Amino acid sequence: MSDLLQQLNAEMASVADNVKRSLVQISNGRGGAGAGTIWHADGLIVTNAHVISGRHSLNVTLPDGRMLPARVLAQDETRDLAALAVEASGLPTIEPGDSRQLKPGHWVFAVGHPWGVLGAVTAGIVIGVGSQWPEFPPSGQDYVVVSLKVRPGNSGGPLVDVRGRLVGVNAMMTGPNVGVAVPSHVVKAFLREALGTPRAEPVPEGIL
Amino acid sequence: MAEVLQSLSNALADTVQAAGAGVVRVEARRRLPATGIVWSADGVIVTAHHVVERDDNITVGLPNGQSVSATLVGRDPSTDVAVLRVQGSSLTALDKASGDYRVGHLVLAIGRPGESVLSTLGIISALGESFRTGAGKVDRYLQADVSMYPGFSGGPLIGVDGKVIGMNTSGFRGANITIPVSTLRRVVDAVLAHGHVKQGYLGIGAQPVRLPSALSQQLNQETALLIASVEPDSPADKGGLLLGDTLVALDGEPLRHIDDLMGLLTSDRVGSTVTVRLVRGGEIKEVKVTIGERA
Repeated sequence: MSDLLQQLNAEMASVADNVKRSLVQISNGRGGAGAGTIWHADGLIVTNAHVISGRHSLNVTLPDGRMLPARVLAQDETRDLAALAVEASGLPTIEPGDSRQLKPGHWVFAVGHPWGVLGAVTAGIVIGVGSQWPEFPPSGQDYVVVSLKVRPGNSGGPLVDVRGRLVGVNAMMTGPNVGVAVPSHVVKAFLREALGTPRAEPVPEGIL
Repeated sequence: MAEVLQSLSNALADTVQAAGAGVVRVEARRRLPATGIVWSADGVIVTAHHVVERDDNITVGLPNGQSVSATLVGRDPSTDVAVLRVQGSSLTALDKASGDYRVGHLVLAIGRPGESVLSTLGIISALGESFRTGAGKVDRYLQADVSMYPGFSGGPLIGVDGKVIGMNTSGFRGANITIPVSTLRRVVDAVLAHGHVKQGYLGIGAQPVRLPSALSQQLNQETALLIASVEPDSPADKGGLLLGDTLVALDGEPLRHIDDLMGLLTSDRVGSTVTVRLVRGGEIKEVKVTIGERA
C-alpha cells in the first residue's frame, strides 16, 4: 500500500477518534436515540431540536459511559437546534470550526449513531453551502449539504472538517448519499440568542 | 497533524473552484435546471439531451452570474447529448482529458443547477469497451460511483487534473453513466456540421430467425435477420433486397440480432456501398447496397 494512502488512513482514523471524545448519545429511555456534541466542559450539549422534541425524560450517555439526565435549556424548531445541560464538569469538548470557510470539495466527516451503531463515521465532501437550493422551496435557512451516508441516529451529531473541528450539526438526509447539516455559524447564533454571548463559543476543557 | 488530509481537502476544493469556471446552468425545462459544459470559448455548450425539454426559450446561467439566452444547435438522443450555443464572451472552456485514467482514480462530478457550483466525489468504478445504446454508440463504457445530485445531468466528470473525462447523465433508463469525451467530440462535431448525428438507413423491417442447422454450421451463426418488409425506393429496395431474404452479415460483421444491424448503420457508412451476405431460396448470396441516411 502506498505511503500516501497509509498516511491518509492514519489521519482519518485519528480525526475520527478525536471527535468521538466529545460525542454523546441522547435517548428517552425507550430506545431510539440521537447524537449530540459536548460544547462546554461544564455539560452544555448541542443537538437537533427534532432529536429531543416530544421527549420528556431525556438521558445523555457521555463518552465515558455515564448516563445522566438532561435538561433542555433552549430549542429552536426552525433552525432545528437544541441546547441541553447535564450535571457534569471537565468534559471533553469539540473544537470549534468555521462553517463560513467551507467550499464545495472540502473533506468532511459526520459522526453519530446510524441505526444504533455507536460512534460510526462517514466521510465525503461538501456538495455546497448556503441557503439557495433550487430543488427545495426557499426557507431562508443556511445549510451545509454534504456527500456522505448519514442515516437515522446521525441526527444531532457533529459534522467536522479535516482537523476535527465542528462545522455543522447533522440534521437530515435528502437521499442515500446526501446529508444536510446546520452550519456551525448558525449554531453559534442560536446559542448566543438563547443563552447569552459567553456561551456561544465552545469552551475547551481546562478553561473555566 | 492531518497534513495529507488537509492537502487533499484543499486540493479538492481548488479543483472544484477552477472547474466551475467552465460549468454553466442550463434552464431548458419547467422544473429544476440542469448543468452544461463550456465546450469552446466561442460559446458552444454541451449538455444532456434529456434535460433540454424545449427547443427554444433556453437560458444559460454563466459562472459570472449573468443569464444569457442560448440556441439549440442540435441533439443526439442516442448518446443523450445536446449542443447549445451562447454569444460567447469571457467564456472559459474546460480542458479535455486524453484518456489516461484508470479504475480507482478519484473523480469529481460538477453541477450548477442554481447560482453556485456544487460537487460530489467518487472514483472511476469501471472502464470498458464501446457499447451500443440501440441506435447510438458510446465509444467507451465509463462508470464512476459519484452521486448524481439533482440537476447534475449534463455536467462534467473531471479528474484531479481538472480536465473533463466525460459528461454525466442519468438519462439512460435512470442509470448514471458518463459519456466519454471521445464520444462528445464526435457528436459535437457532427451536430455543429449537420445539426444532428447522421444515421445509416436501409429501409427494411426485419426479425431474428433461427437458421436451419446445415446453414448454421456452414455460416457459424445460429440466428440471422429475416426481411419482413422492404420500403419502396429505399436503399434496400434499390439494392435488390427482397422480402424473405435472410440477412447474415454486413461488411463481414454477423447479423444475429436487430441491434447488430442498428450498430452497423453508423454515420460513417452513410453514402457508402456495403456488402450484404444473405440466404435466398436456400442459397448464400452477396448483394451490394448503398446505405442511405435516416431522415
